[in-house]
Amino acid sequence: MKRYISRGFAFLIILSLLVTACQPAAPATEAPATEAPPPAETEAPAAATEAPAAATEAPPAEAGPVEATPGQEVNMVLLPKFLGILVFDQANQGAQEAHAELQNAGELQFLGPTPENSVAGQIEIVTTAATQGMDAIMISNNAGDQIAPAAQGARDAGMTVVTWDSPIPSAEGEQIFVAQVDFDETGRVMADMALSILGEDGGKFAVLSASPDAANQNAWIAALEEVLATDSTYASLELLDIVYGNDQSEDSYNQALALVDKYPDMELIMAPTTVGIAAAAKAMQDEGLCEEVKVSGLGLPAEMVSYTLNGCAPEFALWSFVDLGYLTYYTTYLLATGGIEGAVGERFEAGRMGTYTIEKDPTRDQGLRVLMGPFTVYDATNVEAAAQ
Amino acid sequence: MSRSTESLPGGQSPLLGVWERLRSWEGLLLVLLFVVIIVNSLQAPAYLSVGNQVNLFILSIEKIIVALVMTFIIINAEIDLSVASMMGLSACTLGWLHEQGAPIWIALLIGLSVGVIGGAFNSFWIAIVGLPSLVVTLAMLIGYRGLARVLLEDRSIGEFPQWFDNLGQQPLIGPFPLALIIFFLLLIVAVIILQYSGFGRYVYVIGNNREVARYSGVKVRRAKMILFITSSTIAALAGLLFAARLGAVRGDIGLGFELDIITMVLLGGVSIFGGSGSIFGVLLSILIILNLRNGMSLANITGHVQTGVIGVLLILSVLVPNLANEVRAILNRRRRIGGPQDTTA
Repeated sequence: MKRYISRGFAFLIILSLLVTACQPAAPATEAPATEAPPPAETEAPAAATEAPAAATEAPPAEAGPVEATPGQEVNMVLLPKFLGILVFDQANQGAQEAHAELQNAGELQFLGPTPENSVAGQIEIVTTAATQGMDAIMISNNAGDQIAPAAQGARDAGMTVVTWDSPIPSAEGEQIFVAQVDFDETGRVMADMALSILGEDGGKFAVLSASPDAANQNAWIAALEEVLATDSTYASLELLDIVYGNDQSEDSYNQALALVDKYPDMELIMAPTTVGIAAAAKAMQDEGLCEEVKVSGLGLPAEMVSYTLNGCAPEFALWSFVDLGYLTYYTTYLLATGGIEGAVGERFEAGRMGTYTIEKDPTRDQGLRVLMGPFTVYDATNVEAAAQ
Repeated sequence: MSRSTESLPGGQSPLLGVWERLRSWEGLLLVLLFVVIIVNSLQAPAYLSVGNQVNLFILSIEKIIVALVMTFIIINAEIDLSVASMMGLSACTLGWLHEQGAPIWIALLIGLSVGVIGGAFNSFWIAIVGLPSLVVTLAMLIGYRGLARVLLEDRSIGEFPQWFDNLGQQPLIGPFPLALIIFFLLLIVAVIILQYSGFGRYVYVIGNNREVARYSGVKVRRAKMILFITSSTIAALAGLLFAARLGAVRGDIGLGFELDIITMVLLGGVSIFGGSGSIFGVLLSILIILNLRNGMSLANITGHVQTGVIGVLLILSVLVPNLANEVRAILNRRRRIGGPQDTTA
């Protein structure tokens, strides 16, 4: 009898494990936390400092930028890190917009793995796309170099392979990486927002980051410190402290309140993470501190709209994932149709977004990139439209 | 006790006839497999190509290799939740040693030994100390994964020698890569041991009733030790094959695979309570899951739906036999109560 019960219990545990495995919705909601400002250039943040401003304008184009010929048939797959994340849906929206604009006779599929199966799922989708005879795939890589053999396999099968949001570190199997923003710029944008919120005479502020070992966060904070130290424009700003909320809402909320207690003269919390900025804004709102301490950083308009309108977080920034999807689509379409070959210095026209240049990716040893930039800074005037 | 009632009824009632057919879970799986294959070949022209058929195995090859051993463990009324973490640990050991400059074949040997040691550790607590395998291997699921992450932290290690990558990524004989050949060899070995050897019979007997097995002179401890050491070692081997296929390793390699593996075994008709099931059923279930996933991928059905469909299959695979059992037990009881009254009348 006892044995029967214990076995029954064991069985229930296993069944519940298996059932939960089939309902991957829960982790999805947490996922954007760590991912939100995706680690585009995780591999070599240091290299980013000698960034590309020069390279961007480098070769004077004799023949003007290439324009896409609409109406060709290119079957494409847009592959996000995983499904159920707002920013990836936005990227899909941008890609669909470009798809319609270019009157592609082929299909654009938005296919992704579930969060708990991201690495194996991405590899499976890339492999299957090659089997299906798809013409191009656009990958927001979540599998590090592990996806390289599958990507190379797709290349060997004649497919065009472009990465966006997050590249293949070794660049093996990838033709071009469409990068969202530059690390240097992140530091300057944050400093600009701080100055704009605090006014010309500046003030004291603290940084609420994700985890102490998040490569992208650290590189952004380093860029911010660099700008504060070297540019006299920002001399009036004083960075008090850097704390970590580990991209957990509750943790970040508590860290924000702890900062207020610790530094009574602090006027601003800068959080370069979408989880941190929303949690800090909520903390200030809940405690009625929005007049004394403002919040800024990198955030999602949909999550920040109420805090921006009530003045708790008057300004924050992010790149547009819609635009990123749109630009990625144009790049891929041009590569697949032979408009561009994927060589340094090639310039092309990306619809409503204007002209872009292919350059060597300064953040990796190998690989090419197209740098989208710039940040969009959101305030009360434009946040509502973006939050739709 | 439940066993004796099960063997009672004859086969006269028509309802029992249906039940007998349903009872042959393998029969049902075979039908399901044919349906999946036919639907797939009709809707996707690429499905039947040799390349796709090989890919379909290769994309899950590590899981199905481990599923073969998991079949033994579950028939033995135990569970090994640590297999996926062991895959991760052996792959990360390989990566770490490679990074330290060790020759790859030494790294491979040590990676495999990690599997043997881990299996010995598991089986010490399960077979000698007598702790439930669910608890021990759950702890090691966390423990081995933790070790793997400690070894590699957040790094991704690749750039193995070309021959090693080729072993995982290129065909070895005809269109078949090494891992697929290993799978088929292990499949044959598993069938022979489980269905045709004395050890295989012990596995069933212990799974049915450990005490009875012990009193009948079966070396229960020894059998369980062999099973858990084999399970970990094969998991370590699968981890190394995975590393070769991906050409790079990270701390999260193989994360969560244990659930997919157990799903395959349970859907194959192996009872989670032990004592029944067959390799043939598990092979059918593997083929169904792989072909179904492949078909859905070719039809551009996304991950969530795929997981959902497989989940429903699994729930049915657990529910249907159990419900049928219940129904039959009730019918039997009715008949027994009704029986004597009939004779007196």
